[in-house]
Amino acid sequence: MKTFVWKIGGEAGFGIMTTGLAFSKIASRLGYRIFDYIEYPSLIRGGHNTYEVVVSDERVGSSPGKIDFLVCLNKQTFDFNKDRLSENSFVIYDKDEFSPETTAILINVPFKEILSSLKGQLIMKNTIALGASLALLGTDLTIFNELITQQFGRKGTDVVSFNEQFAEKGFSYVLTHYNKNIQHLLSPLNSESQLVVTGNEAFSLGAIISDCRMYVAYPMTPSSSVLTTLAAWQKNSKMVVRHAEDEISVINTALGGSFAGVRSAVGTSGGGYALMVESVSYAGIAEIPIVIFISQRPGPATGMPTWTEQGDLLFTVFSGHGEFPKIVLAPGDMEEMITLSAEAFNLADMYQVPVIILSDMFLSESHANIKESFVTNFNKSFKINRGKTIVKSDNKKYKRYETSSDGISPRLIPGAEGAFYQANSYEHLEDGHTTELSEERVKQVTKRALKMQTYLQTDFKTPTVYGDLEGADIVFVSWGSNKGVILDVQKKLLLNTKTAYIHFTQIFPLKKEDVTPLLKKEKRYILIENNSEAQFGKLLQMELGISIPETILRFDGRAISQEDIINKVNSK
Amino acid sequence: MSTIQDFSGYQPTWCPGCGDWGIGIAIKSALIQLGLSPSSLFVAFGIGCSGNMNDFLNAYAMHGLHGRSIPNAIGMKLANHKMTTLVVAGDGDCYGEGGNHFLHACRGNHDITVIVHDNRVYGLTTGQSAPTAQKGYVSKSTPLGIIEESVDPLSLAITQGASFVAQAFAGDAIHMSQMIKKAIEHKGFSLVNILQPCVTFNKVNTYPYYMKRVYKIDDNHDKESITAAVQKAREVFEEKYPLGVLYEVHRPAYHEQLIQLELTNSLKDRVRFIDFKPLTQYFK
Repeated sequence: MKTFVWKIGGEAGFGIMTTGLAFSKIASRLGYRIFDYIEYPSLIRGGHNTYEVVVSDERVGSSPGKIDFLVCLNKQTFDFNKDRLSENSFVIYDKDEFSPETTAILINVPFKEILSSLKGQLIMKNTIALGASLALLGTDLTIFNELITQQFGRKGTDVVSFNEQFAEKGFSYVLTHYNKNIQHLLSPLNSESQLVVTGNEAFSLGAIISDCRMYVAYPMTPSSSVLTTLAAWQKNSKMVVRHAEDEISVINTALGGSFAGVRSAVGTSGGGYALMVESVSYAGIAEIPIVIFISQRPGPATGMPTWTEQGDLLFTVFSGHGEFPKIVLAPGDMEEMITLSAEAFNLADMYQVPVIILSDMFLSESHANIKESFVTNFNKSFKINRGKTIVKSDNKKYKRYETSSDGISPRLIPGAEGAFYQANSYEHLEDGHTTELSEERVKQVTKRALKMQTYLQTDFKTPTVYGDLEGADIVFVSWGSNKGVILDVQKKLLLNTKTAYIHFTQIFPLKKEDVTPLLKKEKRYILIENNSEAQFGKLLQMELGISIPETILRFDGRAISQEDIINKVNSK
Repeated sequence: MSTIQDFSGYQPTWCPGCGDWGIGIAIKSALIQLGLSPSSLFVAFGIGCSGNMNDFLNAYAMHGLHGRSIPNAIGMKLANHKMTTLVVAGDGDCYGEGGNHFLHACRGNHDITVIVHDNRVYGLTTGQSAPTAQKGYVSKSTPLGIIEESVDPLSLAITQGASFVAQAFAGDAIHMSQMIKKAIEHKGFSLVNILQPCVTFNKVNTYPYYMKRVYKIDDNHDKESITAAVQKAREVFEEKYPLGVLYEVHRPAYHEQLIQLELTNSLKDRVRFIDFKPLTQYFK
């Protein structure tokens, strides 16, 4: 496995994100697997942005730690990252701005001089830097120029060629002055077409594959790019994408759409979800299907908006007053995000419950590449299942909340002739009318709870185990976005330590008889979570009566690192 | 052709003499006159005495949460714009708890008809003061008299973009029914604010109180003039209550401006989207 890390940093507002993504796309088009990770403050200008790309000839899901190529558009980038450099690392910088003190290999590129000679704006510094990087990595500018055309093409060929010359200057400067340093790390590989997507974009794809027709949201970092992605697609997709006045309106609009018969979803982060939960409870009692996408960030309150955490797990599981069923799913990578999101709409329809997709900033805003054929094939094979949704009722007196052996009642799409009913937030009779009768209340509570028994028997999926559980010395237990780093660490440890990883994506409810045997072996179990309270550990204790005392918990706004896990493994 | 009976669900539980009885009948007769049936109608009910009409009026209905009936109605309309969509809510519901939704629905000119039972008091929770209560109104929650000025829902709607704003009085069923009918026929956001005595908890704004102070807007009123309409609306602060259409203009409704909705086919009924190529190209 050949893996290297390229990282660029600079002042917010100077195109770090665009340049980083261009680098990811170039590596992806050349046939490499990539995983990238961004850091940015909750500001538009003035802070420090970084974009780190891990490039490998095999699948990757986290940074190995060491930086091989550090592109410093300012001194801060160097200061923040110098501890991650080695003697073999390269630092691309401009000696007119600062002089790095390091044993790493220095590649001085005169950004300022090139900018002024071509009369460029400050923002074009990153174009020079990317050109220089590509030269150092032994590839050419073909793909970068294509991306420039993609970005500026509609502004005319003058704008395209104006931008291209900055890339060319950086590129040729390295060729001329640092020819002996050129590394041949980006030679093209044979690979089928790949797509570079974030978790939020993967959710958007999943929603469209599943025929979601209404998406309603209020912008909230780090979930906002679902809204902007689906909004950008609406001309093609014909999805109704509504940016409503607040999160309460968001979910109630979507519930209206779902009641009327279209698959509907909302997206937000923890704070926005806090505003929605009364309505989640309404969806619970009125049995209205809804898919809720939550991208977590560190709370409480406004917390750290642009950083990552898995701190809303228990809040999500227990969200909403009263007792009602819901399903919580947590994808671990882009492929799982696409498939589970599409599946979520089926489950919402089949069980007539809220289904929550739990993401976090790390998964939502990082890019990874997936095979294009994965999306095409999944789209072909995916079957829409609307469960007991019906479009007409033969029954003279249609009963929306009729009791049944699986707890699920036929749900009539409004508009059907000769029928009518209400989706009632009050406790109701089988026909939907309000009731306070003891036996009717018990009947409906029991019916709703029964739906989750049916779900556990029919659609619960036992967590995937990576590695050999029987032969392992150490068993990692985790959920959601920690998958990438854990799989990477398993590979690293392969020669010394036998590990297995139990990866939970179906977080709640848990099927006791399926999950318990996995956690009851004579092994060293380590629970890994991106929060301070071991929330999933608490859930396991509550639902299964199992406690995992050894934990890796990180709650500084950063994702779990390979080092965090390796240090813990080696601590005994 | 539907009848009153078709629209009638369970026997209402309102207090004898409550204005809600008259409003219930006025809504049903407007629906019949328009040739609608319970199967062709969406209603979003709020929570309160008004919302309790849910069990008495047959329709495809959402009886949702306090304050949230307007977004429910917007969602229903966007999913199936061929259905007539009503909101039945109270003053606390629509102008208090759901005030933000009300304001933004006016802006959006969503094609929904909002019928507000304005009794200036919280009936179902036994008599606290509502956003439309007059300044100084003494209630259980404001025993020293309410300090705030009352909300003026008509001006609010007119100035925030509603395209049809009318007022009716629960004591005049025929006029009330006419207003509701006009509001439903109007394309775009329509509000019918109904002055409704709460015989149990509001001892100030009674039937005799309103009988003395309501009057019908005459034909000389310029319904297209915002200034004239707001002037009429502000008469509430002089305890004069104009009945009729204060404001009516024609602008495209929200759903008519959505390029993804087809005129003849609702969002619910259109074919499934499957052409992914144009969407995924950006990711390469």
